[in-house]
Amino acid sequence: MKFSDFISAKSIKAELKAQTKDEAIRELVQSLLDAGEINADQHDDIVAAIMKREELGSTGIGRGVAVPHTKHPSVQKLVGTVGVSEEGVDFDSLDGERVQLFFLLISPPERPGDHLRALENISRQLRDETFCRFLKQSKSGPDISQLLQEADDNQFASG
Amino acid sequence: MLGGGTVGHWLADMLCRKRHDVTVIDIDPNIVRRINSELDVKAIVGSAAQSTVLFQGDVLSTDICLAVTGVDEVNIVAASMAKALGARRSIARVYAPAFSDLSTFDYRQHFNIDSLLSLEQLSAVTLARAIRNPDAIPLEHFARGQLEVYEMDVCPSSDAVGKKLRELKLSGGMRVGSIQREGRKWLASAEDELHVGDRISLIGMPEAVEAARSNFSTTSDRRKQQRIMIAGGGETGFHLARLLSSPDYRLTLLERDLDRCELLAKLLPDATIVHANANRRSVLEDEGGGTADFFVACTGSDESNIMAGVEARELGASRVMAVVERPDYANVVGKLGIDRVVSEREVVARQILGFLNEGAVISQTRLPNGKIGVYELEVSDRTKVTCATLADLPLSGRCLIMGIQREGFIRVPNADDILHAGDIIVALIDLDHVDEILSLFNSKSS
Repeated sequence: MKFSDFISAKSIKAELKAQTKDEAIRELVQSLLDAGEINADQHDDIVAAIMKREELGSTGIGRGVAVPHTKHPSVQKLVGTVGVSEEGVDFDSLDGERVQLFFLLISPPERPGDHLRALENISRQLRDETFCRFLKQSKSGPDISQLLQEADDNQFASG
Repeated sequence: MLGGGTVGHWLADMLCRKRHDVTVIDIDPNIVRRINSELDVKAIVGSAAQSTVLFQGDVLSTDICLAVTGVDEVNIVAASMAKALGARRSIARVYAPAFSDLSTFDYRQHFNIDSLLSLEQLSAVTLARAIRNPDAIPLEHFARGQLEVYEMDVCPSSDAVGKKLRELKLSGGMRVGSIQREGRKWLASAEDELHVGDRISLIGMPEAVEAARSNFSTTSDRRKQQRIMIAGGGETGFHLARLLSSPDYRLTLLERDLDRCELLAKLLPDATIVHANANRRSVLEDEGGGTADFFVACTGSDESNIMAGVEARELGASRVMAVVERPDYANVVGKLGIDRVVSEREVVARQILGFLNEGAVISQTRLPNGKIGVYELEVSDRTKVTCATLADLPLSGRCLIMGIQREGFIRVPNADDILHAGDIIVALIDLDHVDEILSLFNSKSS
């Protein structure tokens, strides 16, 4: 599975304002709403579902990366967005590092296979240090989109 | 029955009394010996996660396999194997919340298990129900308490007085379920007009119910905030606090372990978390145990719960509830001044008996003061209810569907929804028409 299969380019946020975990998740879900990917009346419920998942263990996987996610019946297909925070946000990551790079994913419950393939793709691509570093340094949505495209085209070594 | 501990032993006994043919498998020869001597069941020694043992237990032809050992992973593996070997239904008891969360991985679906039951969550739901509104429609057990029921009186200052329900423009996340007037209770319909003093039940997603309350009553009419003290911040205490998180309650939670306290403080920002031992009388005194409207003891130890409950009662707590597992204690706790005892055995029994029912009905309860039944129904393939939208089914005035649970998520349906096979619904049904309604849920051939 490729990033272009599920990342909504319009919703990518290069300069997150969030200072806390809660704010970061809200800001990313809001940008999916602004891009028309989710329904307005589901916004709070989706945020709550993502926070509930975080309670069971942070999705901050270290090296400044977090992949908050949930399943939600209001989405018809897998949808995700990317956010970058210059200062980083305390996300209770295992390595204690602040998170600069967020991949947020929402998927319909009846497609568990797609959900896992998307999570796998994110985690596999992010193993590449260069890709990660470039993403964290990105200053605009189009820059991030282009990096994701390059990753989809296997231009990063370990991708 | 895989596992013959407190829960397994009691369930085996209960199923046996209901004339089911029960086999118990446990790894501990002493437990097996005891069960064989005390109960009229077959008990064998072995690991529930081994195919040879399951085969010996004749899991291949069982109607239901219940994996209730003390180890989550064993329960999941064993229930999954039992299902693959031929058990018609298979249920695993799990403790860790991660197993019931499907955001990262759907254990239930992956292992092809019919249900993952958390007894701690079920107990919390039962306790929350006893606190919230003991006489109201019992829906809290449904979908892990995600639907809320709130009973209230229509007050004179409300704008809803004299209006029909359809004119009220209520949110889609909730419904008015029933109306009670002059001792008679009936199923609410869009054409019902509200009078001052009607007792109505609001059913739906908690935020929607909270928001809708202002339609029927002004803020000053609201119930007084109740003080709840919970002793023990384990899974049961945590879920209970989570279920009661609302401005209606002021929560104090006592927990002995400091790390757990810090976690609870994060997860329950509105509750007061106190790092203290609930079995110290001075702690109960200082933290206001004597003025609590409800004191709930759920520390994980029967003896501690009983002692804390007795202390709280003596200090003056209005109502005292305790989780007590050992059936031997059941007789004495009432005499000690504990108003309500909840045990995991009982809450799980209800769920399991539901799974043993034939046909669509999982559970049913009759409401007092009227002809309304609350039904939990499973939707099967090739039944009439799956063939049309809810609006087009002949349900009006006779059956009100309050919630649909699909893929682990619950929502309040609207008129355009179509039921799918595998959905579980909860509905209020007018008992005069129950046979016609149930026939829609049973397969066409029968």
